Formats: sequence, C-alpha cells, structure tokens
Amino acid sequence: MYKLLFLQFLRSRAVMASLVLTLVLGAISIGIGHQFLSQKRAAIDQVESYQKSHIERNVALHKDDLGLLMYYLKFAFVNNPDNLSGLSIGQSDVNPNIQRITIKNLEGQRYDTDLVNPMNLQSGNLDLSFVLIYIFPLLIIVFTFNLLSEETETGTWRLVSVQTPSKLKYLLLKLSVRVILIYMVLGILLAGAKIVLSIPFDVNFMMVVLLSVCYVAFWFALCFFVINFNRNSSFNALLLLASWLVLLILLPAGINAYVTNRYPVPEALSTMISQRDGYHTKWDTDKRETLQKFYEHYPQFEAFGYPTDGFNWIWYYAMQQMGDDDSAQDTKALRQKMREREAASKKLSAFLPNMHLQLALNELAGTSLDEQLNFLDATSDFHEELRLFFYPKIFTELSGDMIDWAKFTPKYSYSEMNDKKRMHVIWPLLTVTLVILLCCFAIGRRLH
Amino acid sequence: MRRANVGLFMRHFLKNAFKTKVIYVLLGIFMLLTAYAAVSGITNYSQQNAIRLEHQRKARQSWEANPDKHPHRMAHFGSFAFRMKQPLSMFEYGIESFTGNAVFLEAHRQNSVNFSDAGFSTGTLRFGELSMAMLLQLVLPLILFFLGFSVVVSERENGTLKILLSQGAQWKEILLGKALGLFVVALLFFAPIVLVTMLFLVFGDIPTDIGDSWQRFLVLFLGHVLFLLVLSVLSIVVSTTSRSAKNALLTLLGIWLLMVVLVPKTAQAVGNALYPTPSKLSFQSAVERDVIKKGDSHNPDDPYFNRLKDSVLTVHGVDSVTQLPFNYGGFVMREGEKTSAHLYKKHHDSLLNIYEKQNNVSRYTAVLNPFVAVKNISMAFTGTDFKGYVDFQDQAETYRYQLAQEMNELQMEYIGARVKNSEGKVNVVRQEHWEEFPDFEHRMQLLQSSVKEASLGIFSLLGWVLFSFLGLGYLSKKAKAL
Repeated sequence: MYKLLFLQFLRSRAVMASLVLTLVLGAISIGIGHQFLSQKRAAIDQVESYQKSHIERNVALHKDDLGLLMYYLKFAFVNNPDNLSGLSIGQSDVNPNIQRITIKNLEGQRYDTDLVNPMNLQSGNLDLSFVLIYIFPLLIIVFTFNLLSEETETGTWRLVSVQTPSKLKYLLLKLSVRVILIYMVLGILLAGAKIVLSIPFDVNFMMVVLLSVCYVAFWFALCFFVINFNRNSSFNALLLLASWLVLLILLPAGINAYVTNRYPVPEALSTMISQRDGYHTKWDTDKRETLQKFYEHYPQFEAFGYPTDGFNWIWYYAMQQMGDDDSAQDTKALRQKMREREAASKKLSAFLPNMHLQLALNELAGTSLDEQLNFLDATSDFHEELRLFFYPKIFTELSGDMIDWAKFTPKYSYSEMNDKKRMHVIWPLLTVTLVILLCCFAIGRRLH
Repeated sequence: MRRANVGLFMRHFLKNAFKTKVIYVLLGIFMLLTAYAAVSGITNYSQQNAIRLEHQRKARQSWEANPDKHPHRMAHFGSFAFRMKQPLSMFEYGIESFTGNAVFLEAHRQNSVNFSDAGFSTGTLRFGELSMAMLLQLVLPLILFFLGFSVVVSERENGTLKILLSQGAQWKEILLGKALGLFVVALLFFAPIVLVTMLFLVFGDIPTDIGDSWQRFLVLFLGHVLFLLVLSVLSIVVSTTSRSAKNALLTLLGIWLLMVVLVPKTAQAVGNALYPTPSKLSFQSAVERDVIKKGDSHNPDDPYFNRLKDSVLTVHGVDSVTQLPFNYGGFVMREGEKTSAHLYKKHHDSLLNIYEKQNNVSRYTAVLNPFVAVKNISMAFTGTDFKGYVDFQDQAETYRYQLAQEMNELQMEYIGARVKNSEGKVNVVRQEHWEEFPDFEHRMQLLQSSVKEASLGIFSLLGWVLFSFLGLGYLSKKAKAL
C-alpha cells in the first residue's frame, strides 16, 4: 500500500518537475554560497600578502619619522567568515569583513563600505537559506493542496471512506509520503551544503538542521490545517498561496518599512560631520587646550608635556584623537539606534516563522547585523590596542627600525555565540509549529 | 469581430467579478496596503530629504565657519556630498536602500559612499520593500492571475462556452472582451496609486527646480498600464489553453514565480558569476600601483617629481623652488591630484563597467520578461536606478576634484614660496575664500538619460503588448470549446 502511494504520487509530471527544480535550485544556491566564500577567502589571502609589502615599502620610505610612517600604515582586521555563511549569506554581502585601519581617528574609517554592486544587493542572494525559506513552502503547497480535495473531485473519496477504518489515518499516510520526500530533498541539500562548503559537524550546524526541519514542519502543519477545511482544490491553492504571499512578502516588507521609518538613523550622518569637525578645527585652536584634552583621556602620557611651538606629532595625534572623542556622543546614539532596530526586528519576527528563520540562520552563520556590530566593536578595540602600542613610540621619536614589523600581520576577530542565545533561537519556530499542529488535530478529529 | 459583442463580454466579466465577495476583500486589502505604502513612501521621502538637507547645511556651516587658514588645511577639512531623493522615489524605492547616500570629500582621497540603509538593516530588508511600485509589479499581477485563471476554462468546464459559440459569438470577441474586462479591474486597483502619486506631485513637498516630474510620472503611468494590459491578456490566454481550472492556476503561478522571483534573481547571480567584482584591496592597490608608477609625490627621491621640479625651475630661470613666483608645494599637489584623480577615474570606470556587465545580464531578460521591463522603466523614471547612483558618485567626485584643485591654486597664489608648514595662524588665506567656493548640490538626472536607460524596457513592453494581442488572435483560431 505504502509503495503504491509513493508510485502514484511520483507518477505525476508536475511533482517530478517541481522536485527536480527544487533540487537544481538548491544545487545552484550551494554553488553560489561556495563562490561567495571563496571570494571572501581570496580577499583575506590577498590582504595577508599585501600587508607585508605595504609595511615594508612605507617603512623603507619613512623609517626616520615614525609619526609620518604611522600616518600611512594600515593594519588589517579580519572577520573570518564562518563556513556556514555560505549557506546563509545574510548581511555579510553588504558589510565588509576586512577593515584596514590606521591609528588616526577611527570614526572616519570604520564605516567604509566594500565594493558592491547595489543591483546585486537588491536582487538578493540566491543562497540555500533563500531556497529553504521561499521555495520549500511552495513545494509543500504544490504537493499537498489537493491531498484531500483531489479524492473528492475524482470521486475516489467515497471508496476510500468505506474501505479504511480511519480516514484521518489514510490522509496522514498520504501526507507522510510527501513529508518523507520533502525531508529527503532537504536532507540531500543540507548534506550537499555540508560537504561542498566543508561545514563542520558542530552545534551550529545541528541547529541549522533542526531549524530547517521545524520550518518544513510548520508549512506542512499549515497546509494540513487548510486542507482539513475540506474545500475544493482551487480554494486550497488560493488560500495557501495567499498565505505564502502574506507571510513571505507582504508582512516582512511591511515590518521593514515600519522599522526603517520608526528608527531613522540621522546619527550616522551627524557622526560623520562631528568627527571631521572634532579633528580638523583643532588646527586653528590653542594647542595647549588640545593637548590637555588628550591627557585627560590618556593621563599616562602626560609626561610628554605640552610642546606648542610648530608642528609636532603629539599634538597631531591628539587632534586625531579629538575627532573620535568629540563624536563619541553621536557614535553612542547611532549604536543605540542600531540596537533598537535589531531588537524591534527580532521581536516582530518571532511571530513570523520565515523571518525568524532568516534572522536565526544569519545569527548562527555570523552574518547578522548583531555580528557586524560586534565586529565594529572589536575593530575599535583593535584600533585602541594599536594606538596604545604606537603612541609612546611616536612621542619618544623612536626610529621605525626599532619596531618588530613582522608581528603586524592581519589580525582576526573571533566571536562565540553562547548557548542561551542558541536556545532562544529555536523557541518561536517550535511554538508556532506546535500550535498549528494542535489546531490540525482539533480539526482532523472531525474526519473520523 | 463586432465591437458591441466585445463590450458585452467585457461587461459580463465585470458583472461576474463583482458578484463574488472575493474581489471586495482583495480590493479592500489592496487599498489598505496602498495606503500604508503611500504613507511610508512619502514619510521616507520627506524624512530622508529633510535629514540629508539638514546635514548638508550643517556641514556647510562648519566649512564657512573656518577662520583664515592655510588652504591645504581646508583641502583636508573637506566637504560632504549628500544624495537627495527624487520626488517620485516615494513610488518606487529601486536600489536606494542599498546605495550609500553620503560621502566625505577631501583632497587626495576618494572615499566610499557610506551609510546605506542596507548596512543598518537587520536582514529583513532582503524580503523586499513595501512600496507602491512593489504592489503594482508584484502583488497586482498575482491578484489578476487569481481573478483571471478560471475565466475561460471554467466556462468550458460547465459547458456555457459551447452555448455562447453556437449562438454566434466569435472566439475573438469572447477572449478580447474578457481580457479587457480583467484589464478594467486591474485599472481599478491601479487608480488609487495613480491618484495618490498625482496628489503628491501637486501638494507634496517638492523642490521647484525639478520640472520634469510630470513627464516622468506620465511614462511611469503608461508603462504600468501596458504591463497590466499584457498580464490581463496573458491570464486569459493561459485560462483558454489549460485543460482544467486548477492547471490554469498552477501555470499562472509558475509564470509569476519565474517572472518576479526566480529569473531576476538567477540572472543577477549569473551576471555576478560571469563578471566577478574585484576585491576592494585589489582595486585600491591597483590604483596605488599606477599612481606610484607615474610618480610618488610622497617620495622625496621620486624621479618623476624630480624631473618635474627641474623643468619648472628651468622654465622660470631660477635654481631653487624658493625663488619661484608661486608656492611649489601647492604646485606639486595640483599635479599629484591631477594624476591620481585621473588614474582613480580610469580604474573606477572599469569597475563600473564590470557592474554594468553584471546588470546587463538581468536587464536583457526584459525582452523575455515584462516584469523586468516595467521594473527598469520604473526605476529609471523615479531616479532610483543604478545610473542615478553612478551619476551622484560622479557629481561628488567632480566636486571633490574642484575643491582640492581650488585649494591648491589658492596655496600656489597666496602662500609664500618658502613656506612648507601649514599649521597655525601664519601663512594663511583669508576666510572669504571658503564662502566663495560653492556648496555641493546634488542635481537630479536629466530626463533624456532616464529615457535612454529605460528604452530597452519600453520597447520590450510594447513588443509584449503586440505579441500578446497576436497571441490572442492566433488562439481564437485554435481554441477548442470542448
């Protein structure tokens, strides 16, 4: 009987076509993820080799003037992409994962964008998360919308109802054929992604699998709920597709419009202006005052005194520092706004399985806005570290030869997600699925 | 073909359509969405423009507030270019959320255009943006397919088609009448959007110097009308050729999915794979390498700049730069800026060329895909397309170059030949010069350039209209009543 159900289902050309289409799209998406990862990796390799020659060239030119040398030298700070990010590219295509910074003022440097074609960003990435979030529900809808109505419409339902002890059981049996097939497709794609993208078999990957399984279950539950209304095929198809449209396109777009208009970020622009003014206006103001402010920030350097005649590097870097210090207020406000945006999106998306899944996958893959903010923070720390290392050497007019440049290879940022966050990630999806399943059984009982 | 009969079928379609509750529900939801999209589109337009204008003003204020100083300090003080939104961007967002809208302009350095909305987005942006254009291009087609899929096929299924034909109605009249009926419904959904946009153009907060908004609106309007016409005919064609209503619905949905999601996305991905974008580092180091090859103004022993110095000294018949009638530092900087800006532009143009090639792959699919055609028209005429962004970048770079060179000229003219230092209150230029130098002002793109940009879309849409009516004619000879 089971085998027959399978054969009967697979005989349809539409079913085979949609299965093949999904597998092909999945394969393409994994390929795109692979390409994305290798482009990022290539850029990292490039920065590794470039940094060495960059430092050598500039040290050779300016080694006698360390202050001038540090004006030119850029140090790379790298956010190494997780292999999982090939599966869910998220925000990592718009946010750069390599920062090359000088010890001059930070705010002017750290928002610099990567080279990206905005048209690519607009059309969005065709990564596996896209296939999972958009295409799988459609596949599920196509597979299930006429599960019951087809039998009624072709007149076989009456036959079935006389012959089986439980109609619900029969329906579930039919449904399980579809469930097994779709989970097989999902399994093939996830396994393919794991191998092609060399994703380690760790907790994060397990979470991705678990979330995907839940998401597919959610759509099956929703479809089953709708077909239990016992209406005709066209009605089911219409209703399910309308749900797809609302859940996947209209609501997220509406939420995005809400978040964007509710939390505009003029602070970004103010930061830009205040950091410029913070530094550049100091050229005309009292040097002593600038130095004083600088020593308030770094009392440990006060021993270098207050040289006010002509140009000197202490004063120059104090001015640069003022660019950051004077824009600190705006930076903090910007930061706050971004956190608010993140929090609002997360809260709203908890009710939308697809949005929730996207944000959760991005978080697991380290391609979320949160991760980017953390990387920006880590960049500030790295910048601070460089400053504290070089300031005293510049101020004592140390020769460039005295520094061990070999140790200034590109540095990598690391971030770990804690388990609490991981649990937080799974709950909303699980709850929604369970609620709908319960509804299904409440309705399904009528079929007995 | 009798016109009266076409009209009859059209009215019949409308009567039927408005008999069901579904259409009122759809219309109601669509109106609500339109209202939401209109409000957020207008809010976004005025909020963003206010923010950007305010910052442009602030930045200018602090530029003018600079005291007398050495011009090179002003070259580095620099200025900002903020991008302004076109009024019609309230209708279509295009790529605006993905492009930065502010850039810091200073001497010797081409900074990136920063602060795009995408950079500040949590990833929800990738699900799409709810604009009126999105409702028209993405949601309305789906609604038309829902309303049109069963129109002919169900008449065949319940046998009324046979009766109609036996009573003397022609296929042509039936198909055309129903297609036009569906088109009228489409226009009904479209009308509020047209109305809102027109009201915005009349009463909205629009800068007076943008005179061509109405022309842009007209093309935008006509483009969407043609698009809706094509879709109406398409629904009827599919409904006529399908074996069952269910098949018709599935076919139309397949078409929708291919048209608005899969083909555009895949085409862009293919373009990206065929013409990969270079990394930022390789771009920057290529520029740097070329600049150094030409001559490194920061290297005191650079042969190019030493030759330059010798020739300048010979021309003026002196033997050291301090004897020159102008400040030599300013001169070197002027020459350096000229070289580096030229080389940067060369590399930047070839980068843009790569982007164009990437985009062309999906742009050319407009020939096969009316959605892409109407999208191209819509983005071009609302100034939210790729060209608009590149145009802003060009304007900003031109302004940056002028600013740097103006400051270099001031340095050559007013700063003593012996002066090497640029700090403090000596060796300064009068503050009036800062005010004299005009502020950056983002000029909107010319109408002609939008026309050029959208021409492929316009032609393919016209082609689609022709093709769909030919298809309707062909079908009316082939269609079966049973």
